[in-house]
Amino acid sequence: MKPEALLRLVDVRKSFGGVPALAGAELEVRRGEVHALVGENGAGKSTLMNIAAGVVRPDAGAVIWEGREVALRTPREAQELGIAFVHQELALAPQLSAGENIFLGRHPSRGGWVRWKEIDRRARELVEELGGDIDPRHPVAELSIGERQLVEIARALAFDARLIIMDEPTAPLEMRESARLLEAVARLRERGVSVIYITHRLKEVYQGPDRVTVMRDGRTVATAAVREMPREELVRHMVGRAVTEYFPARAPRRDTREALRLEKFTDHGSFRDVSLRVGRGEVVGLAGLAGAGRTELLEAVFGARARRAGRVYIHGQEARIRTPEDAVRHGIALVPDDRKHKGLIPGAPVRWNMMLASARRLLIDSAHEEKAARHMAEELRIRAAGTAQPVAQLSGGNQQKVVLARWLLAGAEVFLLDEPTRGVDVGAKAEIYEIIHGLAARGAAVLLASSELEEILHLADRVVVMHRGRIAGELPACQAGEERIMHLATGGKQSWASM
Amino acid sequence: MGEHVTLPGILRRFGPLAGLVLMCAALGAASEHFLTVDNLLNVFRQSSVNALLGLGQLVVIVTAGIDLSVGSILGLCCVLAALLLKAGVPAWLAIPAVLAAGALLGAVNGVLLTRLRLPHPFIPTLGMMNVARGLALVVSGGFPISELPGGFRFWGAGEVAGIPMPVVVVVFCCVVFHLFLTRTTVGRDVYAIGGNRQAARLSGIPVERRLNLVYAISGAMAAAGAVVLAGRMNSGFPLAGVGAELDSIAAVVIGGGSFFGGSGTVQGTLVGALIMGVLRNGLNLLNVSPYWQTVVIGAVIVAAVWVDVLRQRAAAGAAANKKAAAK
Repeated sequence: MKPEALLRLVDVRKSFGGVPALAGAELEVRRGEVHALVGENGAGKSTLMNIAAGVVRPDAGAVIWEGREVALRTPREAQELGIAFVHQELALAPQLSAGENIFLGRHPSRGGWVRWKEIDRRARELVEELGGDIDPRHPVAELSIGERQLVEIARALAFDARLIIMDEPTAPLEMRESARLLEAVARLRERGVSVIYITHRLKEVYQGPDRVTVMRDGRTVATAAVREMPREELVRHMVGRAVTEYFPARAPRRDTREALRLEKFTDHGSFRDVSLRVGRGEVVGLAGLAGAGRTELLEAVFGARARRAGRVYIHGQEARIRTPEDAVRHGIALVPDDRKHKGLIPGAPVRWNMMLASARRLLIDSAHEEKAARHMAEELRIRAAGTAQPVAQLSGGNQQKVVLARWLLAGAEVFLLDEPTRGVDVGAKAEIYEIIHGLAARGAAVLLASSELEEILHLADRVVVMHRGRIAGELPACQAGEERIMHLATGGKQSWASM
Repeated sequence: MGEHVTLPGILRRFGPLAGLVLMCAALGAASEHFLTVDNLLNVFRQSSVNALLGLGQLVVIVTAGIDLSVGSILGLCCVLAALLLKAGVPAWLAIPAVLAAGALLGAVNGVLLTRLRLPHPFIPTLGMMNVARGLALVVSGGFPISELPGGFRFWGAGEVAGIPMPVVVVVFCCVVFHLFLTRTTVGRDVYAIGGNRQAARLSGIPVERRLNLVYAISGAMAAAGAVVLAGRMNSGFPLAGVGAELDSIAAVVIGGGSFFGGSGTVQGTLVGALIMGVLRNGLNLLNVSPYWQTVVIGAVIVAAVWVDVLRQRAAAGAAANKKAAAK
């Protein structure tokens, strides 16, 4: 029997308030295949998946499940067919146990009494089947994000899902957890479950999925077996043009003076004895697994988190930094890892968000602010309807540029960037890389923490690797390969790495 | 804060005002006594204490906080003012002293919140609500202190060019608060803290100092309410302002302020206080029993917020469309 389509979406169209989100999208998912779905933000991936999951109803087009056209009116109907959606924002009840979450709404019971032992047993089986190791009695709040995703996938299996849609499941994960998730996806395939896998990490397209579909501007522009779609072609389909300088070339560094020096940074458990220096015009990459202490370290340098010991020197002078205000006064900028919760005031206009850290006189000078904000929007190519548009309405990449603009306007000279391209699409990523280069070219010092090794390798002059809160080693970018960094990040010795 | 001119935006800005105008029109039709200059000034005067407390409460609610102590601080300040005046302190000195006392009590709320890191402003202000009321009773022995000097009573009972002083005070405070919230960087910090406290902190805004200031402002406004009320009643009554904190919260919320913080305006709060005053006054004119008035006011609070929820849903829909259009 030739591979038959489990789900086909044919010429799907959908507009929101007269604005087309989908203008003829196509997708075919076969039985037991892992199908990657890629495209820039706004290409229509989420809308298409919401249609497949019964959340949104299409204006036109057909949803064909196992050769039969179906009308999915509610998520419930999609679920009953066997379609499950693992959302980006996980839909779990954090106070309840993992096991209870897996069977939420369908507790196995006898005569009205919940059978907890059976929940435990079956939950454990499902999680193990996915290659995970989670105690089903643990509350979900105590699990890592990766473990929570396994719980969500296990829940889909408990509902006998035959197609699982995953929307950027690895976006919040670091390398090791990502690998674990990809492993779980592979096991789903073995079970004969199909997976639609939305991702912005193009590398992952080549780490498991069988086929890939590319969307752009609400249309499907390409579908092919993964091995017949080289990366350059994939990017060209996504962006609609050839992207030659994905990682732009760097100008050589001239200034060799020191801008930031940390000495023996130690706190209560997240990091220990961290000393490092960043020169003017230098980009230093900070690599490590999640939980290695990078975010905590950056926040402590910025005064946003208490430390037990450690000195900061800015341009050779010791700086007393106890609060973020102190840091801002010393020209330090922090671009936090979590834009939505730590970076932006979502309901406030773009201009306002940009001015948040700028020199504070008592009265607001609107004309001056407007001019400065417009200038920044132009220089950083921020796509917004105007500086008065609420920042929540911007795409992830443009939001991140607003945060960067804030620190440029504040005149910062030392930039602590924590995962600056998380949740940002390919085109905007390249632009943010250019901004980072621009910072260095202007003589700013950049400390760049990223879980994407590729990014660190291409942007940094030097790479500092952290492991369990300590510095595991330091490598010049030209000598640091992904393997060497991973070796150090997982607790390997420097001697091997520096061979 | 530039805003786009959109239907939800207009509704958000003028919705409470439209409600007030409609209510006035209806009451005017039902009672010939309602739409007279005298009566309308009367309504404004009756709403003035609530409006003053509401302004303080507004600043607190914009930071996503709540101040349950303003009614009790008002009561304590009434007693303090009366005691000072009875001790022979002149009005021009007693009034700033009482305002300072109110600000200090409010600042204590702020410090309890930011230094002791109590989990939610509900807790320190609930504590202060009881402490201040208790102190008012202790200091006064539970009895009203009556017969205050004319220089003091002027602020609650006097008139300037036929306009009651409480109305003058409220208008003045509204202008000051509006300028503070919209034209100063500190005012914008207040919105930033309510919009996203973490982001505000990580942008170098001194969040704790701003919160201390915000609660001090709320306490000072409670004291201002005390000056007006004690002046009007010609007495410092320790049980003055029982339940006033809830009226002030209602004024802010009816006026479009959100408990989630980051939004709320002076205009809205003033309109919210007037809506409550108009309701009470109008229902009085129509001979509705005070018992039923309480029922109606409760329903109006819920209805006003419900309308706001509908408006926000419409706004969110429009925003989603715009976002889709931008792509």
